[in-house]
Amino acid sequence: MPSASDPTRAHRLGGPLRAVAILALAAAVLSFPSWAPNPYILSAGVVVLNYAVLSTSWNFVGGFTGYISLGHGALAGLGGYATGLLVVRAGLPSFVALAAATLLVAAVAVPIGYAALRVRGASFVIVSIALVLILLLVAQSWASLTGGSRGLVVPRPFPGLLRPEHHRIFFYLFAALLALALLVWWLVDRSRFGLGLKAIREDEDKAESLGTPTFAYKLVVFVVSAGFTGLAGGLYALWFGDLDPVFQFSILTGSYLVLMALLGGVRQLFGPLVGALVVGVGLEYFKVEFGNTPLHLAATGLLLALVVLFMPDGVLPAVGALADRFLRPAQSSIREVTAAELREQRDTAPPGADRAADPPTELPVGAVDGRSGKEGP
Amino acid sequence: MTSRATRTSRATRGRRATALGAAVALLLAGCGDDGGSGSSDDPIVVGISLPLTGDFSEPGKGVQRGYEAWAKITNDKGGLLGRQVELKILDDQSNADRVVADYEQLIGKDNVDIVVGPFSTRLVVPAARVAEEYGMLFVEPAGAAKEVFTQGFKNLFYAAPAVADDHYNHLAEYLLALPPGQRPTTVAYAAMDDPFAQGTAYGLKAKLEAGGVRTVVDEVYPPNTTDFSTIAAKIAASRADMVVGGSQYQDGVNLIVALQQLRYQPKLAAFSTAPTSPEFAAAIGNKTEGILAPTGYTQKAPYPSNVEFVEKYTAQFGSPPEEDEANAYTTGQVVAAAVTAAGCAEQGECQQKLVDWIRGNKVETVVGPLTWDATGKPQGAHMIQQWVGGQIQIVLPTEAKEVDIVYPKPAW
Amino acid sequence: MPSGALLFQSVILGLLLGGLYALLAAGLTLYFGIMRVVMIAHSAFLILAAYLAWWSHARLGVDPLLSMVVTIPLFFGLGVLLQRLLLARLRPVTLTMMSVLLTFAIAVLIEGLLGYAFTGTQRRIQLGYGSASIGLFGARIAVVKLIAFGLAAVALLTLYLLLKRTRFGWALRATIQHPDAARLIGIDTDRIAGFGFGVGLATAAVGGTALALDTTIYPSLHWHWIGPLMAIIVVGGLGSVPGAAVAAMLLGLVQSLLQIPLGTTWAQTVFYLALFATLAFRPQGFFGGRLAQRF
Repeated sequence: MPSASDPTRAHRLGGPLRAVAILALAAAVLSFPSWAPNPYILSAGVVVLNYAVLSTSWNFVGGFTGYISLGHGALAGLGGYATGLLVVRAGLPSFVALAAATLLVAAVAVPIGYAALRVRGASFVIVSIALVLILLLVAQSWASLTGGSRGLVVPRPFPGLLRPEHHRIFFYLFAALLALALLVWWLVDRSRFGLGLKAIREDEDKAESLGTPTFAYKLVVFVVSAGFTGLAGGLYALWFGDLDPVFQFSILTGSYLVLMALLGGVRQLFGPLVGALVVGVGLEYFKVEFGNTPLHLAATGLLLALVVLFMPDGVLPAVGALADRFLRPAQSSIREVTAAELREQRDTAPPGADRAADPPTELPVGAVDGRSGKEGP
Repeated sequence: MTSRATRTSRATRGRRATALGAAVALLLAGCGDDGGSGSSDDPIVVGISLPLTGDFSEPGKGVQRGYEAWAKITNDKGGLLGRQVELKILDDQSNADRVVADYEQLIGKDNVDIVVGPFSTRLVVPAARVAEEYGMLFVEPAGAAKEVFTQGFKNLFYAAPAVADDHYNHLAEYLLALPPGQRPTTVAYAAMDDPFAQGTAYGLKAKLEAGGVRTVVDEVYPPNTTDFSTIAAKIAASRADMVVGGSQYQDGVNLIVALQQLRYQPKLAAFSTAPTSPEFAAAIGNKTEGILAPTGYTQKAPYPSNVEFVEKYTAQFGSPPEEDEANAYTTGQVVAAAVTAAGCAEQGECQQKLVDWIRGNKVETVVGPLTWDATGKPQGAHMIQQWVGGQIQIVLPTEAKEVDIVYPKPAW
Repeated sequence: MPSGALLFQSVILGLLLGGLYALLAAGLTLYFGIMRVVMIAHSAFLILAAYLAWWSHARLGVDPLLSMVVTIPLFFGLGVLLQRLLLARLRPVTLTMMSVLLTFAIAVLIEGLLGYAFTGTQRRIQLGYGSASIGLFGARIAVVKLIAFGLAAVALLTLYLLLKRTRFGWALRATIQHPDAARLIGIDTDRIAGFGFGVGLATAAVGGTALALDTTIYPSLHWHWIGPLMAIIVVGGLGSVPGAAVAAMLLGLVQSLLQIPLGTTWAQTVFYLALFATLAFRPQGFFGGRLAQRF
């Protein structure tokens, strides 16, 4: 990835090798419907792809700016409900409704982002959680519009199609959406805009003093992220057909997305995708194998806690770095330390934080490996 | 897992999967529990998704016991078409998204021979659509609300005497036939935002309003409501002659306790579902006197299959069956009658034969003989029960009553 | 127009509810004051305590109030461990963000384990005095609600005295206001911070018991508490205990009154509207502001 995200790695993995890997991945995804052994596996594939799109969309905010949103599930739900309602109540054709719903979600994201991003740190997360809860309330209470707890039935865009065919078409639609989201992320990553966003992630104060319009940048990328999330949610609604407020506006969806992105690595283009494959496939597997128990929830919580505690930069990057240390031990002496890391070491801990026993465990691979970020408001 | 599952999508075309993709597919598919595939020795596998946890877990478990009783009683008599009946039950956690994935798995992956319905109307519509789109027969024990029958399903049949809106018909007739001086003049309604629960309350509301009985409170609350004190305060402040709760279980209990905390004493109190539950009396501190509830089932019904059901169910589970158990058992009876008549039970063309047979015939069940209209709606009515003398007894219609209705009801 | 009796009844219900909100918000405020941590798992612990109260009543036949003998020390210990073993491990520069994620993960973990242990079925303590009530100027107050409010009031008062009148409280306030200075005068700020978390979590133990007396509980219920609670601490000004208490009583009252015209669900939106309005127009909160660091 020729970008500021991770320069050393980009040199290590040669261009051609990367291209082959990407092509192989694309081929695997595109051929999946023909070798999926039964329609259930195909439908599970659609679910996993949906997760991949959502977590990649999430990563526009989480990866570039370091702001962690737990409310993206609600934005997806909003996209779903907006699409469904535009079809059912306004009589729009399915895909016109989808486009309109995407714009609507992006528009709604502007005031939300305005309230949430004005202050740094915790309040963004609080607002993102509140977003889920408030949309759940509205969807449940405004029954005359949304159908309330009875749910909303979204008409099939291709009526009369047998279920396996229906799954197949939507599998390709989700794959196309994933490709689009990845492409846009890649473009942003290489742009000046992306550079500004990453400056916010590394040190928002410094970025601001250097003239980056941080608030505007954050807001724009939040709206882009919301738009993709809404689009994925709307597509899901067209595929799934039955919307239930409790599931559409679920904190759990949001936490899955965070887990996927953190697991795969938020600084990598394909990080969320890989995370979605691992978590999504794992979820389906455990459901089939052990049935549907609340232990899913417990396992999700536990995994998330472990990732946050031990591998906040992602599991795959951590594994990659570990492999790196064994492969090229010599390099570890040429250590580049960022200002942020220095600051961190110097930083007297806030009261109660147990400092000394926490040597920098991260490995000397990335030079621009920002650890800086947000203080409380 | 691939050998028999490829019926719908031949897998031979694109075998050149990458290692990652193949691993994914293996992981996803690596746990095939092979259902029946139509051979005459295999059991007939009946796939069901039920809310064994979550909002509807209490009735969900009742439905599960009903299905289990049906499978056992059927198998003890030699099974269906000489094949044993085997149940495959998944837990949907009362969640509409899971219920769809469950039926998708049961039909698409586990390749069950028959699917029958889940519990709670809210879950029936999504589940029925899966069955419909796979061309499967779908007999269900709990899709009582009218929207179930307006979706255009062709394979759906509701295995109970009446839909939710008709549950209180006998009560409405009784109240409207009272002399004007005795008739309740004001009613307070509180209903869960759930198609079944709300359907029962609003069915009665429509009939009473048409008869000139005034509605003074009309509250709808979402299923996850826990604090009923304000709703109760509104009802108590209205001093309505009668309170009607469109409830499932816990919400009904909570509302009644909250009303009792406010010392509200209506002349009549009717709640759906909750009062018929075995735990109900203990849950509200035994202050049950006079509470009404509709029911589609009574253990004392004289139908031959019901006598057998009550006896064998009691032997199996140690207590007599309730309405949820009976509805599940009825569902099994309808499926069994169709399978026996059509002479087949597997996916594919057989399903249409089963549908056609049920559409054109009457089935004798533990809740009486059932027939359906073109949308799958049953053609009957519910009885009304009341807590009299510490137990719940049938009071309406008069020809089926065990005791006389107590009106106005004593203080609770 | 609702009758006067109904209004009065609603005011009383709102105040009773506000008391519980105030206690729980006080715990959240403590965490934030000590470590700038927004503790998402607070209400999950609340539900955990409620389940323990329910369980001890349903299975052991003990009065739910007695369960606090176990839950309060237990939660105090858990709070200390949570702070010392988990939150203190996080890198200080990303602490705010990562601590939210970590406590979120703990909340999800507790919800999952509760669901596994007790299933998702709604539970309610069946008390002999469950439907008893006393009259007050025409309104009726359920005895269980009164007990719950009493618990909250006593716990809040204890907390106040603990912070104002004890050496520990003095050290804790010093740690919150100026950690470096506190260390200089010999306060072991790490220890004190841990204990502060313990005290915060103990409020959840009391709150959970109070909650279990009169409501149905189920594992995912904590989401319906954390939203209002977060709104309360933001409106109150993050870090200000009196601010949180005022915001709690006020919002509890408004919610209860709004339920008359709007119904239960719409009335809940008042919390989120207040939250959004506060962040958009007055991010430092309405009752805290510069007082945020003082008790």
